[in-house]
Amino acid sequence: MNTKRLAVLAAAGRNLILTIWAIFALFPILWMVLCTFKLDREMYSTTFFFHPTLDNYVNVLVRTNYFKAFFDNIIVSGGAVILSVLVGVPAAYGFARYNFKSKEFWAGQILGFKFAPEILVVLPLFMIYQKLHLIDTYLGLIWVYQLITMPFLIWVVRGYFEDISLEVEQAAQLDGYSWYQVFLKILLPLVKPGLVAAALLTFIFAWNSFMFPLILSGFSVQTVTVSSLKYLASDTVHYGQMAVAATITVLPEVIMALAIQKHLVRGLSFGAVKG
Amino acid sequence: MARIELCNITKRFKKITAINDIKLEVKDKEFLVLFGPAGAGKTTILKTIAGLEYPDQGQIKFDGEVINHIEPTHRNVSMVFENYALYPHINVYDNIASPLRSPLYKKDEEYIKKKVNAIATVMKIDNLMERLPSQLSNGQRQRVALGRCLVREPKVFLMDEPLAHLDAKLRHLMRAELKEMQSQFNTTTIYVTHDYMEALSLGDRIAIVIQGRFEQIGTGDDIFYRPANELVAKLMGEPEINIFQTELVSDNGNFMLKMLCQERLFALPDDVAKILSAKKVNKFDLGIRGNDIKFYFEKPDASFLTGTIYTIEPIGNKSILTVDVNGQFLRMVAPSDLRAEMDSTIYIKLNLEHALFFNCDDQKFVTRHVSNII
Amino acid sequence: MANLTLKNVYKRYENSKSTKTKNDYAVKDLSFECVDGEFLGILGPSGCGKTTTLRMIAGLEEITQGEIYIDDTRINDLHPKDRHIGLAFEDYALYPPLSVYGNIAFNLRAKKVSEKEIKKEIMRIAPLMKVDDILDSKPAALSGGQKQRVNIARAIVRKPKLLLLDEPLSHLDGKMRQTLRVEIKRLHKEIQCATVIVTHDQLEAMSLADKILIMKDAELQQFGTPLEVYDDPVNEFVAGFIGEPPMNLMTVKITRSEGEFFFEFPGSEVRVSVPKRYYSVIKDGIRVKLGVRPMDVLIGNENSKANSAKIAVFENLGDERRINIRVGNEYLNLITFEEVRYKPGDYIKLEFNAEKTHLFDIGTGNRINAI
Repeated sequence: MNTKRLAVLAAAGRNLILTIWAIFALFPILWMVLCTFKLDREMYSTTFFFHPTLDNYVNVLVRTNYFKAFFDNIIVSGGAVILSVLVGVPAAYGFARYNFKSKEFWAGQILGFKFAPEILVVLPLFMIYQKLHLIDTYLGLIWVYQLITMPFLIWVVRGYFEDISLEVEQAAQLDGYSWYQVFLKILLPLVKPGLVAAALLTFIFAWNSFMFPLILSGFSVQTVTVSSLKYLASDTVHYGQMAVAATITVLPEVIMALAIQKHLVRGLSFGAVKG
Repeated sequence: MARIELCNITKRFKKITAINDIKLEVKDKEFLVLFGPAGAGKTTILKTIAGLEYPDQGQIKFDGEVINHIEPTHRNVSMVFENYALYPHINVYDNIASPLRSPLYKKDEEYIKKKVNAIATVMKIDNLMERLPSQLSNGQRQRVALGRCLVREPKVFLMDEPLAHLDAKLRHLMRAELKEMQSQFNTTTIYVTHDYMEALSLGDRIAIVIQGRFEQIGTGDDIFYRPANELVAKLMGEPEINIFQTELVSDNGNFMLKMLCQERLFALPDDVAKILSAKKVNKFDLGIRGNDIKFYFEKPDASFLTGTIYTIEPIGNKSILTVDVNGQFLRMVAPSDLRAEMDSTIYIKLNLEHALFFNCDDQKFVTRHVSNII
Repeated sequence: MANLTLKNVYKRYENSKSTKTKNDYAVKDLSFECVDGEFLGILGPSGCGKTTTLRMIAGLEEITQGEIYIDDTRINDLHPKDRHIGLAFEDYALYPPLSVYGNIAFNLRAKKVSEKEIKKEIMRIAPLMKVDDILDSKPAALSGGQKQRVNIARAIVRKPKLLLLDEPLSHLDGKMRQTLRVEIKRLHKEIQCATVIVTHDQLEAMSLADKILIMKDAELQQFGTPLEVYDDPVNEFVAGFIGEPPMNLMTVKITRSEGEFFFEFPGSEVRVSVPKRYYSVIKDGIRVKLGVRPMDVLIGNENSKANSAKIAVFENLGDERRINIRVGNEYLNLITFEEVRYKPGDYIKLEFNAEKTHLFDIGTGNRINAI
């Protein structure tokens, strides 16, 4: 009797704490969404009670070229991820299977690109891009985004390749499959969970990138992160419009994260491939 | 179907020599067993034949044709890997069917279904077809791997310890099943094992591999009854063969054996005495298997030696009785239902007609009594 | 030095999440006695309740119902440390920072035994378990066999009334397992302490124990000496579980011809005489489960009325020869030490060792006794 009551109390307490935590964690998003419905003049004077309006949405979606930036962002981020997968998967296989001189050094070097501060490389890159006429092009951004997407993808997928025993590959060869067929039929399905998770995460990294598109493009190719700057007028900041842009920007990320949540956790926990 | 030759193959991994200048010819349709302790290089030999390892020196020939340069895919060999190497993402049926769906050995689905089901029945995995490899026990995985190997008719089957992970009961059963299938194989088979029973049962010939070299190649009878040296003799049989030093002495012109610190001398079979006496030395190592020692708990006659029971261990259908005779431990075979007190007295007699004689210095085989069976 | 008695012991796990598992007893109505100096083996497949039984004796598991006594003391409610029991688990659970000496001394030091006394005890035990030359080593430097030796030494150093061993050899490889098995046997002879070993390996139980208790699905199947369970299994389960290679167990039909009874093997031509002692308990046409060990299948007389059987597999294994006869999907296995040679396809007549032929009821699996 006593123990039962204790158990119920404990469960209630647990739920309460989790609820408080959820509100705390989600508050920035909630705040952002609230802001989209406020007029600029109510921005500082009200918290939860104000006169809701759709003016900000009209301003952003109709009067500016927000959608152009949104699609540009999809093109450069998606393109960057596709290029990373095409180049990174074979590279990851190479790092997993072959022994060559200073292998670990080069693997570390590639991962190191991810950790280098963007601001350090962006100025020299600007000079080079100018000479190559890559400034303000899709290709230019996709290329530079490899610094963000490729190292992470290689690192994750390499772990997956290493988990597949060499004998599985050899068995498939003896079964009469050529090397490319082994790769497509046996290896790719086995690394798929890791590949999908890594690709989606790197897509989000690329989507959120700010420094590279700010310096290396901005007129004919414009990403949503950079286009937010437009709401900084010389005399005032249009927080409401900025919030609308940001809300729409995070939508794809939130939807994706929710849809692949399970996949993401499983895919990033190494050693999911077992024989 | 192929005759396989290994000509002076050497394979090194960094500084370690895994196989050292070996020569071997496997006849067409022969079942050859590579037998030896762990780390002797057996698996490396198999992988070299499959093309998964490249030899540093020497040639591999299928039917007289050098195939060193041919890719594994095109060698037309089928292999059971010791760690199974099943495809984790497809079920048991698809795993076994995989060789028959590859571009090189493609068959129609109807044929595949018939063939896979037949193999699965023999392997006793027909109730597991829908499972993924991760949902199987090690013994079941091993049988799937064996099934995937046998489903196709290649030039040669290469089997790396295909029964090692089965429990004792299933291992004996599957060994018998393999042996029965063997007559229908019509395919050259090279089989790696460290279990002497598998070697003796399955092999047309057995090659004993120790430290990357062949110590002896011969039929099971050759290896069991006339082992090349003491090392080989010790590998075959449970309990391990008893080996101890003896001395050849002349007693009024008859050559007799002095051993186990006994006063009396032991008579040798004539053919053995003749060969031993022709040697320059008079000390020999005598090897005698547990089966060839008789024992009683009451002394039948003076020809029996006295010892004390050190241990008695049942190992299945028999027990191993270890007896201390003047400080020399002798292992012998007793019926499994024998019950005896430790440290009690026992009387034993060695059957010298089945004894093996080795040189003391290099441990090489000298002679044994030749009977009608051997 | 003590007797261990279990009286109608039950263990039931309360499973609050599921209402279906009302009958989930881990141990059901278990009674047995282990007298002083005896070596008792509890044997069974995994999940049969053998480890639970051991843990109840040790006091690591509550007893649902029933009583456990050491001598005349009821120990149901005694704290584990007051039961005077030495326990060695399968995973060695040695304290890594302590040396072997420190590990063995640990429990004695906890009991505030004087260092001089401890040293004396360890010096007595160490040679018995062959750990005297590694007393200064750390556990990390030891092999599996050595760790298990230290583990057992630690269990016996406090002079327990009862020694419990839980699968002590299951982590070791073949050769080591055999060696340690012999040593445990010799140790027991030396210290003469009532010992209970839990194992799933029938060979281990057969070679170590004076008496074997066989469990399956929480229930006792048979309790007897190794010879009793080997030669007179009470049911099909025990018959199949004990013995390696396993007993031939197959369904046969009894037929009568010219006043004699025969076993007829379905799906084959094989026919073998029924031992005379069973004549009073069988009838023409009934089906029974036949159990006969490979060593008790004999190559019969050419003139016997049995049908010839075709050899499917002949194996010459050096010391012994095995013959397999195809019977439907199964093999009838025969082992002989005689120097015989056959080829597959040869025919032989079969005979069963009359004293060691067992019949089991097909429905219940219980043994059918000859009168």
